[in-house]
Amino acid sequence: MSLADDTTEDHGDHGGHHLPAVEDWPRGFGEASWWPFITAVGAAGIYVAAALFVLGRAEDPLVGPMVGPAATVASIVLFLAGLYGWLYHAFVVNFWERGTDHHSAHTLRLAMICFLGSEVATFGAGFVYYFFIRAGAWPPENLPHLLGSLIVINTAILVLSSFTLHFGHVALRKGNRSRFLQWMAVTLTLGIVFIGGQVYEYYEFIVNEGFTLTEGAFGSAFYGLTGLHGLHVSLGAVLLGIVFVRALKGQYSAERHTSVSTASMYWHFVDVVWIFLVVVLYVGAEIGA
Amino acid sequence: MASGQLVLTVLMGVFLVGVAAFLSRVEDWRSYTPLASGGGGGYGEAGAHVHREKPAGITRWLTTVDHKDIGILYGTYGVIAFAVGGLMAFLIRLQLVAPTGAVVGNEFYNAILTSHGITMLFLFGTPIIAAFSNYFIPLLIGADDMAFPRINAIAFWLLPPGALLIWAGFFLPGMSGAQTAWTMYTPLSVEQTNVGVDLMLLGLHLTGVSATMGAINFIATIFTERDDDVTWANLDIFSWTILTQSALILFAFPLLGSAIVMLLLDRNLATTFYAVGEGGGPMLWQHLFWFFGHPEVYILVLPPMGLVSYILPRFSGRKLFGFKFVVYSTLAIGVLSFGVWAHHMFTTGIDPRLRASFMAVSLAIAIPSAVKTFNWITTMWNGKVRLTTPMLFCIGFISNFILGGVTGVFLASVPVDQVLHDTYYVVGHFHYIVMGAIGFAIFAGVYFWFPIFTGRMYQRTLGKWHFWLSMIGTNVTFFAMLFLGYLGMPRRYATYDFNSAIAPLDMVTLMHQAASAGAILLLIGQLIFVWNILQSWLEAPKLEDADPWDLKETDQHGREFQWHERRTATALADGGEEEEAVTDGGEVVDDDADDTSDD
Repeated sequence: MSLADDTTEDHGDHGGHHLPAVEDWPRGFGEASWWPFITAVGAAGIYVAAALFVLGRAEDPLVGPMVGPAATVASIVLFLAGLYGWLYHAFVVNFWERGTDHHSAHTLRLAMICFLGSEVATFGAGFVYYFFIRAGAWPPENLPHLLGSLIVINTAILVLSSFTLHFGHVALRKGNRSRFLQWMAVTLTLGIVFIGGQVYEYYEFIVNEGFTLTEGAFGSAFYGLTGLHGLHVSLGAVLLGIVFVRALKGQYSAERHTSVSTASMYWHFVDVVWIFLVVVLYVGAEIGA
Repeated sequence: MASGQLVLTVLMGVFLVGVAAFLSRVEDWRSYTPLASGGGGGYGEAGAHVHREKPAGITRWLTTVDHKDIGILYGTYGVIAFAVGGLMAFLIRLQLVAPTGAVVGNEFYNAILTSHGITMLFLFGTPIIAAFSNYFIPLLIGADDMAFPRINAIAFWLLPPGALLIWAGFFLPGMSGAQTAWTMYTPLSVEQTNVGVDLMLLGLHLTGVSATMGAINFIATIFTERDDDVTWANLDIFSWTILTQSALILFAFPLLGSAIVMLLLDRNLATTFYAVGEGGGPMLWQHLFWFFGHPEVYILVLPPMGLVSYILPRFSGRKLFGFKFVVYSTLAIGVLSFGVWAHHMFTTGIDPRLRASFMAVSLAIAIPSAVKTFNWITTMWNGKVRLTTPMLFCIGFISNFILGGVTGVFLASVPVDQVLHDTYYVVGHFHYIVMGAIGFAIFAGVYFWFPIFTGRMYQRTLGKWHFWLSMIGTNVTFFAMLFLGYLGMPRRYATYDFNSAIAPLDMVTLMHQAASAGAILLLIGQLIFVWNILQSWLEAPKLEDADPWDLKETDQHGREFQWHERRTATALADGGEEEEAVTDGGEVVDDDADDTSDD
C-alpha cells in the first residue's frame, strides 16, 4: 500500500498512510464520497417507482400509468451510475498501483459467502411455498409438460459454464492470461445462451401453451422460482461481463484475482440452485403426477 | 378520523420543524467550534481539517463514509422514528381510555396500531442498534473503520426512503395507512384494497435490504478487521452480540423479503402464493412470517443484552461474572431462535406433535436467558454499585426483562397460550421486552457513551427523572396490560364496549385507564430525555476528563474510552494540528477496506 501512496501526489503529506479514494468525488477528501448516496437514492428509487406503478394502477390513480415505468428506468440508470462510480474508484482505477492486499481479498470473499447465505433464505421462502402446494393435492389442473429436451440442454449448458469458469480461473492462477480470457468468453456465452433458453421456455409456455403466471398454484411457484433464478443468472452474467471487460483491459494476474473468485462463487452458487430447482420443481412436479 | 389525522399531522409538523432546527444548530456548532477549546475531539476536525478528510456543511453528512458519522446518522434516524412511533402509541392509549374509543375513528386506530409496530421494530429498533454498533464496534475491536465503509453508507441511505414509503399511506391523498397489524396476516393483507399496504410492503422490503447489507458488513468487520491483540478470547461482549445478531439477520430478513414480494405479487399480479384453497394459504404466511419474526425478536434483544453486559460491570466495579457463559448463552439463543417460530401459531390448529416440540424448544430458550440474568445479578453481587443513570437503566433492564421473560415462559406453554393467545397478556409480555428491556438498554448506552458522542456530559438530575418516569411508566402501563389479558381483553381492538355480562367492563376500563396513565408518564419521561440530550449536547461545558466514569480505577477502561482519551489528549495538546490525532479512530489513518482490496 505504501508504494501506492508515494506515487499519488494527494497522498504525499499523510506520512506513509493514505486516505481512501482521494480522487473520488468530491475530490480531495479522504472520508467522503457521493457514490454511496447516489447508489442508495437510485436503489430506493426503484422501490418508489414500484410504488408509483402500483399507484398508477389504482382505480382512482394518483399518477399516470407511465410514471412508474419511467421512474423505474430513471432509478436504474441512477443506481447503475452510482455503482459504476463507486466500483470504479474503489476497485478499477489504479488497479496495479494499489498493490496486493490478501487481507482485503479475504474480507471480500467472506462478504460474498455471507451474501450467498442470505440468498439461501431468499430462495428458501419460494421453495417453502412450492413444498406447501406439492404436499397437497397433486397434480394441479394445469400442469404443463415440463421435462423436455430444452430443459436438459439448458441445464447442461449452465453446468458446463461452471466448469469453463473454473478452468478459466485455474488458467489465470497459472499465469496463462490468454487461456483465461478464452474460458471467460466461453463462460459468458454459455450464460447468455442459458438466459436465452429460459426466455424461449417462457415464450413457449406463455404463448403456445397458455401457461402463465396467474395460471393457478403451480404457475406462481414455477414463475416465482424460475423468475427469481433468472434474475440471479442475469446479475451473474453482468458480474462476469464486468470481470471479462476488466480482464480484456489487462487487469488481473495470478496473484490478483479476487473479483474473479467472488464472481465465480456467485456463479457456482446460482448453478447449484438451478440443479436443486430442476430436481424439485421440474422433476418433482412430474413424478407422481 | 379526520380530527385524529389532523392531530397527528400537526404533531408531525411541529416535530419535523424541531428536528430541522436541531440539525441546523448541530451543523453550526460542529463547523465553527474553535479547536482550541479542545474536548470536542473528533468534532474539532471540522474546523482545521475540513479540506482534508471531510467536506463542510450538509455535504459532509450526505457523503460521509466514516463509521462514527454514519452511527450518528443512524442514531438521529432512530430517535426520529422513536418519536413518531411513540406518538402513535400515545394516540392508541388515548383512544382506549373510554370503551367506545375516545379520540380517533376505528380505521385510523387500526392504521396507527399497524404503523406503531412497524415503526418501532423496523425503523427504530434495528437502526438504533446499528447506531451503537456502527459507532463502537470498530473502536472496540481496534479497526480503522467498517470493512466496507461505502456499503455502510448505502445501507443507511436506504432507510429514509423506506420510512417514507412505510408512512406514505398517512399523507398521500386518497389512501390511508395499512390496517394489517404488523404481522400482516393473510388473507386480510392480500384482500385489503388500500394502496397504502403496497407502499408499506415496499418500504419494509427496502429496510430489510438495508439491514442485510449492514449485517454482512458487521460479520466481515468483526471477522477480519480486528486489531492484532483483539482475539476471539478477549473480544468484548457487545461485539459478540452484534456478531450473533448479524448472523440472525442474514437468514431472517431475506426470507421476510421474499415473503413480502410474494405478498405484493398476490396483491397486484393475481398470483396464488397465499390464496386460500389452492395456494399456500394463510398458514404459509404465518410460517414464513414467524420464521423471520421470532429471530427478529432476538435480533432486537441480543445487542441490548450486550450493551447491558458491557455497561453493568463498569458500575459494579467487577468484571462481568461468567463472561464465557454469557457468550455461550448468546450463541445458544441465536441457534435456538430459529426453532421456536410456531409458538406464535399454537391456536391455529397445527399438529399437536409439532406444538409440543415447539413448546419444548421455546421453553429451552429460557435457560440461556436465565444464564444471562443470573450472571448480571451475580456481577452486581458484592460489587461497588454506583447508581449512575446508565446503571439505573441497566438495573431497570434486568427487572423488566425478568417480568417480560417469565410471562414469555407462560406463553410458551401450549395450554396457557391457548387461554391467553391474542389477549393483552401477549401485548404486555412483549412490551416488557421491547420497551422495558430493549428501550432501557438503548438509554443506558446513550447515557454511558454520551461523553464520547459529544465530549460533554448530560444533566444528571434530568437523567434520573427520565429513568424513574420510564421505570414507573413502563410498569404501570404494561403490568396493567398483563392484567387486562387475564381479564380476557383481546388485543388490537379499537373499542371495547362489551356487554358487561361477557366481561367485567368496569375493571377492563379501569385497567385501560391505568395503562394510559402510565403512557403519560412515559411520554413525559421521553420528552425530558430528548430535552436533556439536546440541551446538554448544545450547551453543556466541554468535558475535560476523558475518563468521566472513573473506569481506570477498576481496570475497566475499555478500548472505546482509551480511544476517546487519545483523541481528547491530542486535541488538547496541539490543537489538533497533528494529522493522526484528528483523523478517524485517532489512530493511524488507514484506508477503507473496499478501497485497498485488490480487485
